[in-house]
Parts: sequence; structure tokens; C-alpha cells
Amino acid sequence: MSSEPLLRLENVGKRFGGMTVLHEQSFSLAPGEILGLVGPNGSGKTTTINVISGVHPADEGRVLFEGREIQGLPIFRIARLGINRSFQVPKCFRGMRVRENVEVAATFARRGAADIEAILAETGLASHADDIAGSLTVNQQKMLDLARALATNPRLLLVDEIGAGLNPAELGGIATLLKGLAARGIALIVVEHLLDFLNRVTDRVIVLGAGRMLFEGSLAAASKDPDVVAAFIGG
Amino acid sequence: MRKPPAWRGPVLVLVALAAIFAVAPRLYSNESVLFTMMTFMALAQGLNLLYGFTGYLPFGYVGFFGTGAYATSLLVTFTSLPVIAAVLLGGLAAVVVGLILGPLFRLSGPYFSIANLAASQIIYNVVANEALKPITGGPYGIKIEHVYAPTASYVTMLAILLAATALAAYFRRSRFGLGLRAMHQDPISASLAGVDIVRERLIAWLASAAIAGLAGGAYAWNLSVFYPEAVFTLQISVFAIVFALFGGVGTVIGPLLGAALLYAFYAGIGVSAPQYFELLYGLLIVLLVLFLPNGLASLLTRRKVDVL
Amino acid sequence: MALLEYALIGGILYGIFFSLVGIGLNLIFGVMRIINLAHGQFIMLGGFGAYLLARGLGLNPLFGIPLAIAGGIVIGYPLYYGVVPRLQKSQDPEMLSFILFFGIAQMIEAVAVFAFGADQRSLPQDALGSGNIGVLGQEFPDSWWVACLVSVLAILGLYLYFSRTRLGFATRAIMADRDEARATGIDVDRVSAIALIIGIALAGIAGVFVPYLIGSVSSSIGDGLTTTSFAIIIIGSLGNPLGTVVGGLVFGIGTMLMQTYYSSWSNLAPYALLLAIVLVRPSGLLGKAVRRA
Repeated sequence: MSSEPLLRLENVGKRFGGMTVLHEQSFSLAPGEILGLVGPNGSGKTTTINVISGVHPADEGRVLFEGREIQGLPIFRIARLGINRSFQVPKCFRGMRVRENVEVAATFARRGAADIEAILAETGLASHADDIAGSLTVNQQKMLDLARALATNPRLLLVDEIGAGLNPAELGGIATLLKGLAARGIALIVVEHLLDFLNRVTDRVIVLGAGRMLFEGSLAAASKDPDVVAAFIGG
Repeated sequence: MRKPPAWRGPVLVLVALAAIFAVAPRLYSNESVLFTMMTFMALAQGLNLLYGFTGYLPFGYVGFFGTGAYATSLLVTFTSLPVIAAVLLGGLAAVVVGLILGPLFRLSGPYFSIANLAASQIIYNVVANEALKPITGGPYGIKIEHVYAPTASYVTMLAILLAATALAAYFRRSRFGLGLRAMHQDPISASLAGVDIVRERLIAWLASAAIAGLAGGAYAWNLSVFYPEAVFTLQISVFAIVFALFGGVGTVIGPLLGAALLYAFYAGIGVSAPQYFELLYGLLIVLLVLFLPNGLASLLTRRKVDVL
Repeated sequence: MALLEYALIGGILYGIFFSLVGIGLNLIFGVMRIINLAHGQFIMLGGFGAYLLARGLGLNPLFGIPLAIAGGIVIGYPLYYGVVPRLQKSQDPEMLSFILFFGIAQMIEAVAVFAFGADQRSLPQDALGSGNIGVLGQEFPDSWWVACLVSVLAILGLYLYFSRTRLGFATRAIMADRDEARATGIDVDRVSAIALIIGIALAGIAGVFVPYLIGSVSSSIGDGLTTTSFAIIIIGSLGNPLGTVVGGLVFGIGTMLMQTYYSSWSNLAPYALLLAIVLVRPSGLLGKAVRRA
């Protein structure tokens, strides 16, 4: 990769109170690339996503998107630049209809027209388009989170544990969906506990332990790395 | 089935409001009851602009009302501006106070409400302070009886009520309102959808403040002689909140209906026996929160009627 | 110099008493995440209880303390089971409780007007001792010292309840994490109901001394006391009942200094203090009040 990557983190750190939850995080991501983030609970996976999406801005270091520093920008600005995300615990507009949820993002993101019906179909929500979002199952709400993110035409999508609680057939569907998004040039960061699932989506992972990057490389190599093994078994 | 054009409902409501309050003085001689009813309808609607669309309850809403009343009265006293300009500047004064209080939005729900209440008490205690007697009249109140004009102030208040209602309709039906609704439901997801929640919230807050300031100005004009308590009593916030809740916040017609019905009830029995009324509306609040948190309007929306 | 000493010592006495005024509100918030906007009205009821005992039956106003405890049980128990579990199931318990308890405050105030009228009522001046007690040459009425002593005892009692009893331990567990506490087998509703009773009873006990510290009790003092209590607990630390003491002292000393040096503006003190702290240090002293989004 000679040109500027889509996303680059440089020595990013994050503290909560007196506790440092992320140390000197550095990595980069190209368009259409899928990066898996793995690690035990509390290792900093979700924090990494929160820092990039602006939900909890970084305290140290730089986050560069298309060569531009974005740390410290408000969330809506980051979203309008083309970074979006889903949540581990879905955060949709519960009192609004499913279609309205997606419309909000299509209306305000200012990133060109979004095909709302296509997004609803892609995320399996077409038949629920007129339901109130709060009446959906948790898994459907996660998909709605994703649909809301897609309606902003993102260039970088951060997906937080979307596979938890799904059956193998559903997981297969999501893996296909995510790979399809990457094929369209969207870069993805996928936080996931389910390593089999991750293995079907990407072979590039970063392993985190206690807020530090322990390993960067292929998933197969990660499982043989002594630091990684120690973090998962001893941590 | 074709959907009626989006502007039809709001226009109908505005025309009906204007017609009712234009004709009412010919049918009912106690014009001051009608005037006060419009005042509370405007205040309930103005409060609705913030509370109904963002979930922030401005407990110190009366602070804007009092600010408008005093700004207007002082301008009338110390300048030669036309009264109507003074009323408009009263609205502007409330907007300025709203801007100064903007940092209150760093607080979440109830703490915002309490801090807003404290702010209104500060304004009241400053205006009514003995030390400011040469300017504001301090605790002895203010007199602008030389501009007393019941009909002109009545028409002005009606215009303010219509403006508040038009704003509520805009909030309910526009792209801007869609952003507010999304923010109300989940501020982070709304931001991720690209909604500039800080800006939207500030606009709703300032619009709400402007309505209260304008209403305060017109109210001062109509009274023309008043003590500071008359425009700063917490009762004014309380009525606006209860009336709006009763009708149904987040809708256009809810606060109007709530204020009209409850104020008529108050004018009937409440003025002579305020403690009975206080007991009743206290009970009403408890019952509303427990059984009908979205007010009268929700009786219709539950039946899938599209309420403006 | 004497003026400053007077203001400081008076402020400490006043502040310790106002810790008691605020503590019940903070306890209820900490345990239930419920905003008891009727807090000031419960204090007012305590004041009228003492008034009835002293003027009606000729008893010492201190008998208002057991009366306040009884009142806390009689009001708190049905109030808890009547509204709190229902509120907590709703979307936004904090905001809804705020409005609901505001309705309750209005009802209490109306009932107080029926029962006592709108006039200000005072208690016999010498019922809590007729002399003055001096410290460093500054004298304050006995009633202030009694109020201060009772406040210290009540706060100490609450501290012992938290640290030495099983119920208090369970209360702390609920304050830390309600769902977690339920999962470990704590009877959350029972413990919370007791906390509500204690919170209301503490408000009532504070009310017994209000006629002495403020000068009188009347049916309309509730809202002002609620706002003052909020100022105190926000200055201290929301949800941490014992942090209230810090808030009470800051409030007491601040108010006394204002009354001594700028008396015409002293009404502003609690509100200005509340607003200043909210705006200047939204995260430091406030903790939970600040939105995370």
C-alpha cells in the first residue's frame, strides 16, 4: 500500500477516570478491507470502535480518516465524513417505524441518496418496514442498527458483536452480507467473539489484551502466538 | 386513498384558532379570561416546543416569561419605541437569556430542569431586588399604564399563539422535526445518522424561549401594572407543564386542548378556591404519569388516528 | 473579624442542619433513581407536625422526631408500592418520577392549606432552650445547637445503618447496581421501600427544626426547600448520601457569608451556587448528573 490508507490510528490512547483502557493503539485499514478485532472482555475492542466513531474521543494520539485528523470531532461530523457503526446493544429509535429509522440517516448524513428499500431488503427487514422498531427482536434491532449505518453510505463501517445470539444459518447470511459490503469498497472493522464466524469474513485480525495490541496478523497465526494464548487463558 | 397535502392540517388548526379567538370576545364578555387562556395556550405550546420534541423539561420556563415582561416594560418606560417593538424585543431578551443558559444542556433530564428552575429564580431575585428599585421598581413592581391597550395586546397575544402553533407544526412535520424526534429517542444514534443534535436542541430551546418572552411582553402590556411575582411565580411554569402534559406533548393540538380545557376549568372554580384546584391538578398529574403519560392526544393515536 | 467568625461558625451550624435537609432526597435518588420533588413538602409536614405538638398539645417540639418517623412509615410504605415499581418499568423513570412527585407535592401543599391556612406559623422560641451558647465569643441560640446535634446524630445513624446492618449493606448493593442486587437474592423492593421511608422520615425530622432555623413554617415553603436541597446534594455528590454533608457545609457557610456581607442578595445564594457549580464544574462535583452523550 503506497497511497494513504482509508483509516490510520497513531498511538491512540483512552482513559476513563484514572484508568487507561487503551494504550498506544496503531494500525491502518485500506478501502474494502475487513479487520477483525478480538480479545477477552474489557480488552479494549469496543473502546477502539468508540474512539474511531467519536462516541468516546481519544485522549492521546491521532485518528486519521482519508488523511484528515478526526479525533475530537463531534459524532455527527464523523458520520458525515463516512464512518458509521452498529452497537453491541442495539440503539435504534425505538418509538419510530423501521423505515423511519433508516430515513433519518438517509436524510441527515448528506452523503448522497440511499436506496432505503434495498437496504431494508439487504438487512432482512423489508417485511418489518412498517413495524415500530421497539417491537423487533434484539437480533432484528441489531440489523436495524446496521441498516441505519448503511443508509449514510459509509466508507468505513464498525460492527460490534453482531453475531452474538445468532444461529449458524443467520451467521452465514451476515458473513455474506459483510463480505458483499467489503466487495463494494467499504472498509470494515468487525469486533467478534465468535472466531469461526470471523474466520469466514477475514483473515486479518488484531488481538487486544488489557488495552494493548498483542498481535496483528492472520487469525491462524494468532492462535499459535504465546502472548495471545496467555491473554485468553490467563486473562 | 390519497394523503392530504402536508400543510392542510396546520393551516386548518391556525385558521380555527384565529377564528375562535377573534369571535370569542363577542360571545363572552370577560375578555381577561380569554386573554389569560391564550397566554397559557401559548406558554403550553412554547414549552411543548422544547419538552415535547426533545424531552428536556424547562421547569424554569417562567424565567423567560418574566424576562420578556420586564424587558418590554423597561423598554416602554425608558425608550420611545412603539410597544409592539418592545414586545418583540422582549422575545429577543428571552432568546439572549436562553443563549446564556445554553450550557445547561450539559445536564441530563431532571438536573437540567432543576438548574433551569434555579436560573429563573436568579432572574426573579435580581429583577425584584430592592437594590434595583430605581430601574425595575424592585419588589414594588412596574407601571406602564400609559400604554394600556386591551384590544391591541389581545391581538398581539393571539398572533404569538399562532406563531407558537405554527412552530409546533413545523417541528412535527419537517425534516428538522424528524431530527429532533430521533435525538429524543437516542441522541447517539441520531448523531451517527448525521443529526447535529447540539444545534437542533439549541434551536428548539431558543424558539421555546422566544415564545415565552413574547408572551411575557404581551402579558405585561395587557396588565400594564404588576408586581414581579405576577410574572415570575412558579405557578406559571407549573400551569404550562400540566396543561401541555394533559393535552399531550409532542403534538400540535394536545397542548392547545389541554390548556384551553384546564384553564377554563380553573377560571370556573380555581380562582375562588385555588387550593381545591391545586389538589385536583396534583392528583391529575399523578394519574396522568401513571395511566396516560402521553396525554389526551394519545387516546386518539392509540386508535391509529393521525393527530397533528 | 468578629463578623467573619460569626458567619463561619454560624455557617457550620446552619450547614450541618442543611445536610439533614438534603440527605433524604439524596438517599431516595441513590437507591431508587427517583427524584422526590415533594421532598420540601415532606419537610414542611414535619414542621407542621412539630407545630401541632407544641401549640396544640403543649409538648416539646422534639416529639416531632418520632412523629416524623411514624409519618415516614405511614406515607412511604404505600407510596413505594403504589408508584415506584410502576415508574421503574417505564422508559424514563427519572423524568417521570420528577413529574409524578411534583403532582404529589402539589397535593400535599393543597392539603396543608386546608389544614393550616396560608399563614406562617412559628414555634415557642424557648421550647428548645432559651439561652445562647457561645463558641470563640460568637453566640447562637440553643435551638440551633439542638438542631445541629440532632442532624449529626441522624447522619451518624444513617452511616451506621449503611456500615453495620444487613439491610444497610443490601441498600448499598442496590445503590451500586440494582439488577445485580436483585440477581444475588436481595429483596430489592423491601429494601428500597425502607429507604424511601427513611428518606421521608429524615425530611420530616429536618422539618421539626425548620421553624427555628428559618423562622417559621408555612404551606408554601416546600418548593424553596426542594430547590435548596437539590443545590446541596448537587454540590456534594448525587447519589452518595454522605457526600451531602460537604454540600450542606458549602451551602451553610456560603449563605451565612452572603447574609453577613451582602444581605440583600442572599436569597440568590443557593440558586447561584447551584448554577455556578453546574456550569463551571459539570463533571467534577456532579458525577451522575452529567449526560454522557
